[in-house]
Amino acid sequence: MKKIWHIGFLDLKLTVKDKAFFFWMLAFPLIFILIFGNLFRGSKTDTKASLTVLNQDQGKWGAYFIDKLKSPGIELTVEATEPKEYFRMLLIPADFSAKIEKRAAQTLELKKDSDANLQAGAVAETKIAQAMVKLIAELVLYGNRDMGAFFDSRSPYRDLVLVRTRLPEGTITKVPSGFDHVIPGILVQFVMMMVLIYGGISVMEDRKRRVLARILYSSASFAELFAGKFLGRVLMGLLQSAILIVAGLLFFRLNLGNLWLTGLNILVFTLAMACLSIFVGSVLKKEELIVGVSVLTANMFAALGGCWWPIEIVPPAFRALGMISPAYWAMDVFHQVIFFGKGLETVWPNLLVLLAFTAVFMALALRFFKINE
Amino acid sequence: MQQKILEIKNLSKNYGETVALANFSLDLEKGEVLGLLGPNGAGKTTLISILSGTLRGFTGSVMFKGQDLFADRNLRNLIGIVPQEMAFYEDLNALENLMFWGGLYAIPEKELKKRARELLVVVELSSRAKEPIKKFSGGMKRRLNIAIGLIHKPELLLLDEPTVGIDVQAKVSILDIIHGLGQQGTSVVFTTHQLAEVEQSCSRIAIMDKGTILAQGTLAELIRIVGEKEIVEVSGEFSADAFSAIIRRSDGNGMEILSVADHRAHLAFADSERIPAMMQHLFKHHLPIADLKIKSPNLEAVFLKMTGRSLRD
Ligand SMILES: Nc1ncnc2c1ncn2[C@@H]1O[C@H](COP(=O)(O)OP(=O)(O)O)[C@@H](O)[C@H]1O
Ligand SMILES: [Mg+2]
Repeated sequence: MKKIWHIGFLDLKLTVKDKAFFFWMLAFPLIFILIFGNLFRGSKTDTKASLTVLNQDQGKWGAYFIDKLKSPGIELTVEATEPKEYFRMLLIPADFSAKIEKRAAQTLELKKDSDANLQAGAVAETKIAQAMVKLIAELVLYGNRDMGAFFDSRSPYRDLVLVRTRLPEGTITKVPSGFDHVIPGILVQFVMMMVLIYGGISVMEDRKRRVLARILYSSASFAELFAGKFLGRVLMGLLQSAILIVAGLLFFRLNLGNLWLTGLNILVFTLAMACLSIFVGSVLKKEELIVGVSVLTANMFAALGGCWWPIEIVPPAFRALGMISPAYWAMDVFHQVIFFGKGLETVWPNLLVLLAFTAVFMALALRFFKINE
Repeated sequence: MQQKILEIKNLSKNYGETVALANFSLDLEKGEVLGLLGPNGAGKTTLISILSGTLRGFTGSVMFKGQDLFADRNLRNLIGIVPQEMAFYEDLNALENLMFWGGLYAIPEKELKKRARELLVVVELSSRAKEPIKKFSGGMKRRLNIAIGLIHKPELLLLDEPTVGIDVQAKVSILDIIHGLGQQGTSVVFTTHQLAEVEQSCSRIAIMDKGTILAQGTLAELIRIVGEKEIVEVSGEFSADAFSAIIRRSDGNGMEILSVADHRAHLAFADSERIPAMMQHLFKHHLPIADLKIKSPNLEAVFLKMTGRSLRD
């Protein structure tokens, strides 16, 4: 076991020693994160459907209506004067209460910023519609009484009128977006690319330099050598992940949901890539070839697997094709955990699929890994 | 009798049709430094690879200190191997390399560090211990290659052509290191295709070709094989066939043909007085001779006699 660590840790050390290391493992992915983060700007601040209400109402009904807008999915701000910046703003005019009491029709104005996220807008508009229906229903039922005080003492009546929005089965109500989607996506892409490139090249070079053979001159066995190389590549992948997660936490307020689960996901995905890199480095004999194949494979898997754009927005046929990419399964776990709050009971099949990829790649690696050219 | 540290018996190995080793047998006493001399393709690297445990598919047996070398992996902790290639990490410095390679053996970290520093002194790299290896000369890399093979204090060191491709001075320094190891009791086998190297620094010499040992002994013993003879090297613009044809027409008494190749031939004379007559014979038949050298018996003559060809061919 000590020998395995010794062999594996050296590969990690050599990776870190490489001068281009910080560019490839940090600067380069950050560029990707910035590009894709802004391309799919659900802009971080707007993922929770923010709604600004400008309340100029003179009477009591304005505040009462605003109370009905409160909901966990909505980030509500109430202002008395018009703020400079907002994503969407609902105007409640000065004569709001007066018109209600006169039972006169009125129209409310909803202003939107051009940058505002459509998804979040839909959530806010649905909530506004629900609040209006509820208010009107209550007016019909209870008249002009001060309903706030009424409900406070009779809470069972509070939800006498329930308004539920029902969408057709299977409607995607939420598309993962913003940095919480982009960072895991780029992380998966770069774990693939870095482990395949660095891991593949060093397997090939160690074989050419006869370093692999020399390790076996000691009492280390073939199994220990293989395990050491495997471990080295797993460590590379975990290091790449750690770098991007730390950067994400520091600069993009990254939210990873359940850390244990997202961590497990990264680990299992890295196992698969570690095996694949040994295979690539064992069958290919030239550095340029390994780089080419790795970049191609990693980017194809990234595109198919939904690392760059949410797989939820692509046509179903393309989505089905994506399943051949290990990245698809890892990204799905990220989305389930980060955006939909799902747990192991939902994502375990994905983890099993990733382990199956690992088994296949491991078999290939073992079949082709050799110490001589 | 002292136990032999290494006993190789009837080792044979083929690569398809190619015979790399053919009933190769060799013994080594403890503390001996054996130079294994053989031309390119003789099977030297194949032998070292088998002894290192990384080449399979051979027949024959190898005993190390009386035990089957391949039966117990842990015996490898007692053997050091220096491959023909510079098999180490160029992205690490010399000290880091020694620490990595030493780390494959169960040596406590502190002791390993001490050992690495000592070795760097032995191979004259201590002042360059932390420099990038990419800046090292060929000789320095060769010396580091040897140090790595010694990091675990092996009882037996096997070196495959440790002096190939470096300048004369660097060679001398490496041969000194090998000689020093022998004096400290380490048993050494090193392969080479250069005569001068085994003449200088071995307690025993073995000559091999085509996968088998042709002769072995001390330098004096080997030279006795040729006998008290004068060696004549003839070179010029002639073919092997032309030379042989002319020689056949001489009486050839008291003369031995050691080797004949295009442009170069070696003859041995028991009686040096016969040399002028032979030369006259060659001139008379218009053999285009450019150069003549007369030498006293040496290892080269032994090699020529055993293999029928010169090492340079
Ligand atoms: N991997 C191999 N495949 C086929 N033939 C080989 C291989 N390695 C060596 N040989 C052949 O075996 C013979 C001995 O080679 P080798 O042991 O490398 O000789 P040396 O080290 O003395 O130059 C040569 O004829 C060589 O061509
Ligand atoms: Mg060789």
